[in-house]
Amino acid sequence: MNIPVSLSFFARGRFTAVMLLLHLMAVALVIHIIVRCFISLRKGRRIQNAVIFLTDSAGGAKIPVLYWENSIGREKTCDIILPDPSVSRDHAVLKRRERGWIIADTASRGGTFVNGRKIDAETLLRPGDRIGIGTLELVLTPRDEPASPEQKRRVYSGKRTFMTVLETTAVFFILTLEACLKGNALSFKPFLPFVLLSALVFGVYFYSVGLLKRVSFEIENIGLLLTGTGVLLLYGVDPHTAYIQLAAAALGVLLFCLIIWILELPDFVSKLRIGFEILGVMLFAVTFVFGTVVNGAKNWIFIGPISVQPSELVKVVFIFAGASTLDRLQTHQNLIEFIAFAAVCTGFLFLMHDFGSAVIFFFTFLLIAFMRSGSIRTVILAVAAAAIGIFLILQFKPYVALRFAGWGHVWEYPYDSLGYQQTRTLTYIASGGLFGSGLGNGYLKNIFAGDSDLVFGVLCEELGIIFAFALCSVFVLLALYTLSDVTRSRSTIYSISSCAAAGLLLFQTMVNIFGVTDLLPLTGVTLPFISAGGSSMVCVWGLLAFIKASDERTYGARRRKSI
Amino acid sequence: MRTVGKRSIFLYLIIFVFCAGMVFLAARVFLNGSSWASMPFNAHLYDDHDEQRRGSICDRNGTLLYSDEKGFADSSREALLHLLGDREGNISTGVFSLYSAELSGYNPLTGNAREGNLFKTKTRLTVSSQACERAYELLGDRSGAVFIYNYRTGEVLCSVSSPSFDPDHVPEDIETNSSFEGAYLDKTISETFTPGSIFKIITAACAIENLPNWKSWKTECIGETEIGDGCVTCLEHHGEIGIREGLMYSCNVVFSELAVELGGEKLAKTAEELGFNRSFLFENAHTAKSAFDVSNAKADELGWAGVGQYSNRVSPYHMAVLMGSIASGGETAQPYYVERISAAAELPLYTAEKRSAPLRIRETTAAELRTMLRQNVTDYYGEYLFPGLDAGAKTGTAEVGQDKDDTAWMVGFLESPETPYAFAVVVEEGGSGYRAAGSIASELLGILSEE
Repeated sequence: MNIPVSLSFFARGRFTAVMLLLHLMAVALVIHIIVRCFISLRKGRRIQNAVIFLTDSAGGAKIPVLYWENSIGREKTCDIILPDPSVSRDHAVLKRRERGWIIADTASRGGTFVNGRKIDAETLLRPGDRIGIGTLELVLTPRDEPASPEQKRRVYSGKRTFMTVLETTAVFFILTLEACLKGNALSFKPFLPFVLLSALVFGVYFYSVGLLKRVSFEIENIGLLLTGTGVLLLYGVDPHTAYIQLAAAALGVLLFCLIIWILELPDFVSKLRIGFEILGVMLFAVTFVFGTVVNGAKNWIFIGPISVQPSELVKVVFIFAGASTLDRLQTHQNLIEFIAFAAVCTGFLFLMHDFGSAVIFFFTFLLIAFMRSGSIRTVILAVAAAAIGIFLILQFKPYVALRFAGWGHVWEYPYDSLGYQQTRTLTYIASGGLFGSGLGNGYLKNIFAGDSDLVFGVLCEELGIIFAFALCSVFVLLALYTLSDVTRSRSTIYSISSCAAAGLLLFQTMVNIFGVTDLLPLTGVTLPFISAGGSSMVCVWGLLAFIKASDERTYGARRRKSI
Repeated sequence: MRTVGKRSIFLYLIIFVFCAGMVFLAARVFLNGSSWASMPFNAHLYDDHDEQRRGSICDRNGTLLYSDEKGFADSSREALLHLLGDREGNISTGVFSLYSAELSGYNPLTGNAREGNLFKTKTRLTVSSQACERAYELLGDRSGAVFIYNYRTGEVLCSVSSPSFDPDHVPEDIETNSSFEGAYLDKTISETFTPGSIFKIITAACAIENLPNWKSWKTECIGETEIGDGCVTCLEHHGEIGIREGLMYSCNVVFSELAVELGGEKLAKTAEELGFNRSFLFENAHTAKSAFDVSNAKADELGWAGVGQYSNRVSPYHMAVLMGSIASGGETAQPYYVERISAAAELPLYTAEKRSAPLRIRETTAAELRTMLRQNVTDYYGEYLFPGLDAGAKTGTAEVGQDKDDTAWMVGFLESPETPYAFAVVVEEGGSGYRAAGSIASELLGILSEE
């Protein structure tokens, strides 16, 4: 219901000042939440001490084992270097799984022996077992002293986590207030999405911390903060869109939980690789055959009233297919299978004219390929192939070339398609200033694609540049976090998938923001969490799951059984 | 795991590119925000009635000239139309157009998207609305312009252009009726007129700088002189006459012969040094160029050019600034009329930048001209025109042909330290420079000296 309030009330200086102050509080809260979460993430990382030792029977030297997956070999890049000519370059992998330490031979020349017997598959070890590699014998030796108190991680503070959740809800409350007062009229309708959002927030919180008794909630909190901001922002554009986003977010959270559950067993996921690849190709094939063209890209499937973008889901599948455990990486060194899969995906996207997504897939492929093989040659070849592809496109698809024509010169074309959207975005970003116009009081949302491609401009215009940049810093911080955690996770499958997921999120954010602000040509990719798009919302929660899985503490409760 | 860790370096590259790009974006927004936020398609500039938000605008004495709530002030709306602007944006000079970002309250901190009294702007202009109203009255239904400014501080005290109109009741035939010709133009800066005799100041300057014995230069004026294939006429017989008296009595023979003696090249050089063929930046508007081009002039045409009757064109702004330079001995303050624009709590959004005008005249030349122009008033026009103000001036009555009456000019300055003003008054079809323009200048400077 709308309650008419006299216009002069809203013009009064005191009212404007109060609203501005409230908004400043929201900005401060957002920055505080983000800082809190990432400090907590950083503190929650495993300290890199030796988790176990290998004692050389010959000399008695104690070799520390630093990671949960360790490559053993003659190569200097191995984690455990055995500079003996009888040892292969990449001889074996010593990995820790739930049931204990496992040794796996990775196609070595001489083979690997446990207690004198040659192993033909990966073998579970017990403390004191003798591992024969080449002419060397290594004994699995547990740590002597228990971890000293300083080495123990900081104790989990349940109170602090709950405070951060409350702060997040407070931010939503302030934004809801702004939405209630938008357009100089009073309405209580925005409290409905607020209630639903809060239900989602506390639902996820009690499920994760209460039910599953997890000790970390930072990633979920950040995801919820971004999601909630997006939902409320879109509510100011069109309530209908907001409710769809909420529903998609709930679905996304389910996918989040599902992926974390699947990822608990890294070797199992590795085995499913082919299945994922087939699933991805099938999703694309279905879209290609049954899809509908929307805004020039045949990337949508309409099932009754619901529209789905399968390419978003393939992003998740793609990362599943690309990530790999260390022993598999060492055994199967070539990337042909993955390259072929990536080429098929990117090819489909080109055929469907979704060039923005094609670029994102290509970038993620580069990231994963390089992490897996370290081969610069592969990267160069791939980039060359892409360059040829881009050249061909520019030759045969004139409207794509047009986008490049306007790039950098948008102010020369403010009234035609080359510069219309970008100039409006820049104008309204400037108009909003550091603190924005207040939720719902913007005009950029009325421009075509205002709620999807241009949503960064709407964010700046209505919530202010500081708020928007703070949210963007989340993607940088996520990427930095995954980078800092790369050698601390339980398997390279988590390292690769989390870096790929964070990289994808960051790259997509970059293509979206730079495109609408004339730093790059304009493409139709969405801003994760904020842009309208149910499939996109579900997908980014899925990507968040990879990052969460890389955090040791996610599966930590069970880790403390032995050694 | 270590090698996989090392290979993740690739991600650092994207992080770096992203951060660099965002920093670059922030810098661009900060530097260009003002012009971006004042684009006409920015809906935040307009209120619920599609009217641009402009806050309130006052003159130098605090008299309200315009406000969002009350609109244009009744008595001064036509006189100040060109300084303020019209609602539709047909007048492209004026505060509404040139300062639309600041008037909307734009600042890098809060942008201009928030509404409410807290963000309403207050603008103070340097002009005196009383003088401007009177100037417009005196111009009447004639086309013309008045420009008066303080040559020491740069404050513009009076700037009026005629014809004008009521911005709330725009005449239906404004585009077709000849009496409204140039109504959208601020003729002080965007229009040029035939200078006639006021150009003799430039010719005199050229002589001072190029003839070492200009003080003893003489000629015989018998009402005309033959130059080349033609003849330059003078309104009177002045007999034996030098440059000083020639300027006082406005002798065409003196200055046409001087022009020929100096030559087109030197004359053009002096003219360009003194601001001809150049556009000036006045409050972010580009002024029309005063024109002087004798490259294809025959001898007699050069002679006419020397008395301002060839293809010479000058803008009132240029003439006033030239007078200001002469009065201040070489360099004058840059004229401005927007003193400051502030938001709530006197937060300054814009403050006038005080600097020098890019027009300079040599000190010695300025001193000589100042003396001569002052003598024009004491010995010829009469001190009664500008009592107690120590004025120097020159009139001009320019023939424009086409069966039109002459364009009347008076340009000059006041030397009195309390009122260091320079002025230019032009009235099209005014007839006599002394009567038409001089009377206006006299009354207006009297009003201003009493404020």
